[in-house]
Amino acid sequence: MFPTPIEKRSRGAQVTYQALVPLALVMWLLPLVAVAMFSIRPLADFTNGNYWGVPSSFEFFTNYGKVFLESDMPRYMLNSVLITVPTVIGAVALSCMTGFALGIYRFRGNLLIFFMFIAGNFVPFQILMVPVRDLTVGMGLYDTKLGLVLFHIAFQTGFCTLFMRNFIRALPFELIEAARVEGVSEWRIFWFVVLPLMKPAIAALAVLIFTFIWNDYFWAIVLTQGPDAQPVTAGITSFNSQFVAQYHLMSAGSIVAALPPVAMFFLMQRHFIAGLTLGAVK
Amino acid sequence: MSPILQGILTIAFGVGGCVAYFYGSNWVLDKVIFPPKPDDNGRNINRATIVRPWLFLFPAMFALGLYLVYPVVGSFYRSLFNRAGDEFIAFGNYTQMFSEEGFRIALFNNFLWVLVVPAAATFFGLLVAQLTDKLKWGNIAKSLIFMPMAISFVGASLIWKFVYANDPDIGIINALRDFFGAAPVDPLQIPFWNNFFLMVILIWIQTGFAMVILSAALRGIPEETIEAAIIDGANPFQIFFKIKVPQIMGTIVVVWTTITILVLKVFDIVYAMTGGNFDTEILPSYMMDYMFRDDGRATAVAFVIMIIVLPVMIWNIRQARKEM
Repeated sequence: MFPTPIEKRSRGAQVTYQALVPLALVMWLLPLVAVAMFSIRPLADFTNGNYWGVPSSFEFFTNYGKVFLESDMPRYMLNSVLITVPTVIGAVALSCMTGFALGIYRFRGNLLIFFMFIAGNFVPFQILMVPVRDLTVGMGLYDTKLGLVLFHIAFQTGFCTLFMRNFIRALPFELIEAARVEGVSEWRIFWFVVLPLMKPAIAALAVLIFTFIWNDYFWAIVLTQGPDAQPVTAGITSFNSQFVAQYHLMSAGSIVAALPPVAMFFLMQRHFIAGLTLGAVK
Repeated sequence: MSPILQGILTIAFGVGGCVAYFYGSNWVLDKVIFPPKPDDNGRNINRATIVRPWLFLFPAMFALGLYLVYPVVGSFYRSLFNRAGDEFIAFGNYTQMFSEEGFRIALFNNFLWVLVVPAAATFFGLLVAQLTDKLKWGNIAKSLIFMPMAISFVGASLIWKFVYANDPDIGIINALRDFFGAAPVDPLQIPFWNNFFLMVILIWIQTGFAMVILSAALRGIPEETIEAAIIDGANPFQIFFKIKVPQIMGTIVVVWTTITILVLKVFDIVYAMTGGNFDTEILPSYMMDYMFRDDGRATAVAFVIMIIVLPVMIWNIRQARKEM
């Protein structure tokens, strides 16, 4: 609360405030709105110089139809899905295990390994580029989706482990001790006691990693080329060179490329924000 | 249909593999290697307890070693060789790089980015978090401000190309200039200031992140401290800067460092907007110019980035240690 709640201020101040906030919001989203507007215009509007007025006709279906039917966009989208989904599953599965080990067991080297994971989290990915590319070429995985997935899983595991370990540490340890006293074997404790309690963390992490991987551009251009394996972030640049100066299609393409993570964000907002908060504050 | 099927199969194998590894290795440990025999039951259970954590850790550590530890060392090693990679030139790549003007410009610009972006994003984030805190539809406003965060850096850059476009009919900025009768300019070619126009894009994306984290922190401030300040007659600004900000200082620092580290890695924006032309190069994009052409130089630049990140990394580990 900003000392006097806005409801108790004078009428004038209230109205000004209530009007300024939407204005600021519109300014904030202006770039997005402009692109969305461009994407439903017909080509004729651009040649006639009618960029900002009311569109002469709504070409939503023609423009987006072209993006989906006359370009490589659907393939890029499919590639992105096939890269992102396995990565999310792999990284979450691995980090559940490592997080469990680091959070529950006390053993020599525990802290050291934990710090290694933190360090790995901060390593700038540029330094990995040349060796990882050579490694991928060496394994015959260059320009394949599998090569990208393997690397993404390995690289994301650092952050995921950090996240899971901190979450497991906050769980009531008595539950695990009670199970141990009852003679439940360790893997059953993991599977039946800890894993169900980790559901919110798993959901948050999955949503977070999904957007990270979907939005990755660096590794997409380092490890892949061409529409066979490239995800949509890399594909959108080739898409734009294919439709140079056809602004309505370029805008429609940008919207399509940005849509899945944005949709994911709006559908899973709660998990997304929980993930960011957990990941940053701890 | 086949790629989808392939994907599903991969997932099935992956998950199945994980579960199988996990179940199998624990079973082997408990039943085969250290079976609880009547004579040395306790000793074997203790032994199994020592080994078990490593079973859980092994897959991740293997992946991390292969894709993280080896490449960091390998990169440094590679940076000591010439372009073709067959001649050892010690620090030749580094000395040559530091004598080049392009590298110095990139370093200077990078310094500007690190100075401006985290500060601006944190400031705006804090401002929005505070202003929308008690608003009825504050949550909708927050979601909208947060939305750019979900868009990729490349996607955001392509969207901002429409803002900065030279053509007054397309670019929003030039459309405004045109409206007031000014001649169109290309914002990305104005020396020095074009760097700031590029930074705006990253600030636009990261403000949402700062806002979400700081807004959670603001909610966590005990109401009593604020009530006490009000009773003592503090004005709104005093309450904000002297009561609230000090209490969430820890979170502000975390947000600040997180964005700083991000800034040191981001190349997509410069790469997609100007390609590093017009003196907008920063270190990560400078490195991309050498990718596929001169691995020795590229790894040398990467190592410089690594050295710049190192203090932040060490500071973070020390922080984590303090909390234990």
